[in-house]
Parts: sequence; structure tokens; C-alpha cells
Amino acid sequence: MSNTNANAGQPARLQLLRVLGPAHIWALGVGIVLVGEYMGWNFSVGKGGMIAGLVACWVAGLLYTCVAMIDSEVTSTVAAAGGQYAQAKHIVGPLMAFNVGLFLVMAYTMLEAGNAITIGFLLDTVAGLQGHSGLNQQPFIVLAIMFLAWLNYRGVLATLTFNLVITAIAFLAIITLFLVVQMGGSAVPLDFSAVTTDPMPYGWVGIIAALHFGLWFYLGIEGTCQAAEEVRSPARSLPYGTMAGIMTLLIAATMTWYVCSGLIPWEYLGQAGTPLFDAARVTGNSSLMVLLFVGTMFSTLASANGCINDASRAWFSMGRDRYLPIWFGAVHPVYRTPYRSIVFLVPIALIFALGAPLDQVVTFSILSGLLGYTFMTFNMVMFRNKWPLGSIKRGYVHPFHPLPTIVLLLLCGTAYFAVFLGYGTQLIAMTGFYIVASLWFHFRRYRYVRRGDQFTMPWPRPEGY
Amino acid sequence: MAYKPPKQSLGGQIFDVLTLLVLTVGALYIPLYLGLAGAAKTPAPIENPTWEALGQNANEQAQWAALGYTDPAAVNDMITARFDYSFSWSALIIMAVLVIGYFILVVRLSDKEYRDVIEERFGPKEE
Amino acid sequence: MDTWNILEYAAWALSALFAILMLSDMARIDTTYDNDLLTSSREGEIEAEAERHVI
Repeated sequence: MSNTNANAGQPARLQLLRVLGPAHIWALGVGIVLVGEYMGWNFSVGKGGMIAGLVACWVAGLLYTCVAMIDSEVTSTVAAAGGQYAQAKHIVGPLMAFNVGLFLVMAYTMLEAGNAITIGFLLDTVAGLQGHSGLNQQPFIVLAIMFLAWLNYRGVLATLTFNLVITAIAFLAIITLFLVVQMGGSAVPLDFSAVTTDPMPYGWVGIIAALHFGLWFYLGIEGTCQAAEEVRSPARSLPYGTMAGIMTLLIAATMTWYVCSGLIPWEYLGQAGTPLFDAARVTGNSSLMVLLFVGTMFSTLASANGCINDASRAWFSMGRDRYLPIWFGAVHPVYRTPYRSIVFLVPIALIFALGAPLDQVVTFSILSGLLGYTFMTFNMVMFRNKWPLGSIKRGYVHPFHPLPTIVLLLLCGTAYFAVFLGYGTQLIAMTGFYIVASLWFHFRRYRYVRRGDQFTMPWPRPEGY
Repeated sequence: MAYKPPKQSLGGQIFDVLTLLVLTVGALYIPLYLGLAGAAKTPAPIENPTWEALGQNANEQAQWAALGYTDPAAVNDMITARFDYSFSWSALIIMAVLVIGYFILVVRLSDKEYRDVIEERFGPKEE
Repeated sequence: MDTWNILEYAAWALSALFAILMLSDMARIDTTYDNDLLTSSREGEIEAEAERHVI
């Protein structure tokens, strides 16, 4: 164990399997996020009205375009499982990396729990429509998590191919709904009169407040870089898959807003559990209802699936570096997956899926994501300062630097304020948690970490160090 | 000379994981138990609700009907419920200080650790 | 006892099945292979293959 450098004659190392192409990256990114179109985003309409929902959709879209650009540049250079975690380790430092690793695990595990809760809720709704009241949701929540964990355990290629199929179906369901409604296939006409008669029920503050859930349209797209060690050519596939993903999502988000706002009174939309399914109910077309039910199920499964994939990669990477016990850094000798991390995170997801209300879980996920985006801003600046263009080989260089960074920082600040309106306590509890965890890491856990070995990229010495 | 970390016992590893778990679960459940979590809308129902008084036009009434609501009284609360966005500036400032302070703390401590990493990886700094 | 009740029991049973499959495989792997081999993965092997740095 003492010699960590591979030399000739040493036994072969176990590595994650390099089998993924750009389509899998697209499926991982969009798969995690598309569920946001099927549930959750509409709370932004509740927080600020219909116009606020649309503004939030596009402003959050801008925020995530910045995220995707910045992330693509760094990730195409730091290609390692753990994504932003490995970036932080090389660019900012170990403690930041530990925090980013926790952001990732928390954001994805909470999102996974939220998805499982939604599956239970949707099945309960359908059972109710069929005259069976009081369905016990727990077995379905547990089954969803267990099945997807098992799929992840068995190998990444099957997992993400499965994701590709169900994500594509869920995306096509949105397009179909849009086209049918647009061609007059709805029993009830589109009505946007609330946009003119009651444009901003809360005034401007409502528009800012709406941004909180506007993030939900895209949350998780940055997860694409978790797959860096499993992609055949990361420098090309990761930027390509991520950019294609954000474009897909911008289209889907705008269509979703249009159909839902036109078909559902905003007062109802603002608190609906499954808005796209409700829009299909309003059209009165039963095949659309079935399609959107399938779409909702598939998008939640795809999302939970991607979350298990990403959270376990982050946890695994931290174990490998001894930020967490090395026990978690194990790779399955046959399936080549981080199997111990996958199994370990199952009960954690279950604790939250079975014990906490949906909006709390969602807010925790959003907050962890938001802290991660804030990190990306100074990470990017430090990356360009420590290794200026030309000093190392970058797979992709994003244009207009530092404009995207500045825009991202401003939007993050606004989003913190939006979360503060209504969920300030959670924000404080969450920050408190990360502060305590940071002190614990710096003063206790870091003793067990090898110093120089953490820097694994074949780069020159950073400037100024 | 490279830093040699001590070998951690199995008990220590389990203890470390449990510490993190307790912290995580605590951060989620403490606000819930204290009843501080979540923002609720307050409904302001109106007297003798009709669709017109609630500001719903003919199309919107058809939409409500499709969603299963034919009686305006049933949606009176839903339509009139609003969030309360009044907030205290002191709470906002506490939050801002906490978040910014957190990032400063993490970046500074990280930088200290990072210098060790770079020195061990690339050798002592050349002046 | 209607279809949904049966589905509830089926869901419990399947959950247990997947859990047992995972746990038994994990127990088998952990006892068959040496732990040092299982945790032998290193970050950044791709780059290292192309351009090895001597430390």
C-alpha cells in the first residue's frame, strides 16, 4: 500500500470501466434534471406568479449556462470521478474539496429521496383514481431505491443505457404534449389572461423569490462530470454531452412553462404535485394522460438512478483519498463499480425518503447545489490564475471569461436571497452543518490523508505557490 | 520528507462515518423538530365566493372543472392564499455574514493545506 | 385484498430480494478478494498513462 505509483511488474489495478460515450453523458445530465420539469419547478409560479415563473425559468437557464460553460472547461481538464470534488482538490485545496464532496453527496442523495417520495405520491394518486384509498407508499419508495441501487451495483453501462431510454421517452412525452396542445388537441383552450390581468401578484420581490424553485428546472446538470473516469474520451464527450444537455433542458423548460401556464390556473399550478400530469388531465385526452403518467414515472426513476450514480462516485472518490475511510474506495472486481459506496448510501437515502417532507428534502438539495455553484465561481478564477491558458492542455476553453463567472456569482447571490425568503432557517442550519463538518475535517480527519498524493494531475507547479 | 499518515483502526473508521451521519441527519431534522422549517401560505378567503369574484374567467373555470373543482367555495382558500415576504434585515445580515464567513473560512484553511500538498508534490518553493 | 394490496406485498418482496442480492454479493466479494486489491484504484490514471511524472 505504501507505493502508490504503478510500476512495471506490479499486479494490475482495479479501475472503473471506461465504456461511456457522449449519449450516456447526455442521459446522465438530462436524466437527473428532467424530473424538475415534471414536478417542483411550478412552486416558482406559486412564489411569484406566472410571469415570475417564466423569468425564473430563463434566469435560472442563464445561471446554468454559465455553470455548464465553466464546468466544461475545468472538467475537460480535470477528468476524474468525483467531478467538482477533484477540481476543488487540485485548484482550491483539500478542505474545499471535502466540502464540495459533501455538497455533491448531499445534493444528489436528497434529490434521490425526493424522487422516491414523488414515485410514492404518484402511485397513491393513481390508486386513488382507481378507487383504492390509503395506499401504503413505503414499499414502493423502498423498491425504487433498492432496484436502482442494484442496477448501479451491476455496472455503469447498463445503468446509463437504461437512463438513456427512459429519459428520451420522458423528453418526447413533453414534446408530444406541447405539439398536441398547440394543434388544438385540448378540450379546454390555452388561456394566458392571468399574464395580463394579474401579472405580478407579489410585485418584483416575487420574481426574485421565484428563482428559488426556478433552479429546479436544471438542478443536477453539472453531475455529468462525475462520470469522467468512465467515459471513453472525457475531454471531448463531457463538454459535448453537457452542452447538449443544457440545450435540451432550455427547450423542455420553456415548453413546460408554456403548456402548464396555459392550461392550469396559476393558483393551482403554484402548489401542484405533478404539474405536467395535471396539464394532461385538463386536456381531457386519456392517451395523453397515460403518456404523461409514464413520463413522470420515467423521469423520477431516471433522476434517482443518475443521483445514485453521482453520489456514489463522489463518496467513492473521497474514500479513495482517505477523506473518508479508505474502505469506501473499493472497486468491484467484476462489475467495476464503487460497490461499497453504492450500498452504504442506500440506507441514507431511505432515512430521508421515508422520514422527511418533500419540500424540505428539495430545499436541502437546492441549497447544497447552490453552495456548489458559488464554489465554481472562485474555482474558475483560481484555475485561470494558477494555470493560465497555454500552460496546460485544456479540452475546452469557454469564451468571454470572466463574464460567465461574474454573472454566475450575481445570480447565486440572488438565489441565496430567494431561498432566504421563506427558508432562511434551513439555510442557516445547512451552513452551520458545513462549518462544523469543515472544522471536523481540518482538525481531525485530515491527519489520515496523504499530502502530495492528492495532486494526481500531470500539471506543472501552480503559479504563485 | 513526505508526511506519513497514521493507520486508522477499524473502530476509528466506523466512528468517523457515524460522526458525519449524525451531523447530516441533525442538520435536516433539527429545523423540523424546532418547527422552524418551511414557508406556509396564508389563505384569505372571501365572503360568498363566486368564480367571478375570485377573478376566474370562463376558460379558467373550464380548467378548474377539468381538474375536478366545480364549486368555487372549494378553491377559495387555494386561490386567495399568499406568501408573506416581509423579512427582517438583521436576519438577512446574519445569513449573509454566515454564508460569506463560511466560504472565507474554508478557502483560507484550504489554502494552508494546499501549500503543503504542493510542496510535497513539487518540492520546496524556489525563490 | 385488492390488486394494490398485492402490489404492496410484491414491492416489499422485491425490495428484500434486491437488498439480499447486493449484500450477499458484497459479502462474497469482500471475503474472496484481498482488500488491498479492491481499494487499488487511483485517481488520474488516464493522464498518468500518457505522461508519467517522476516524483
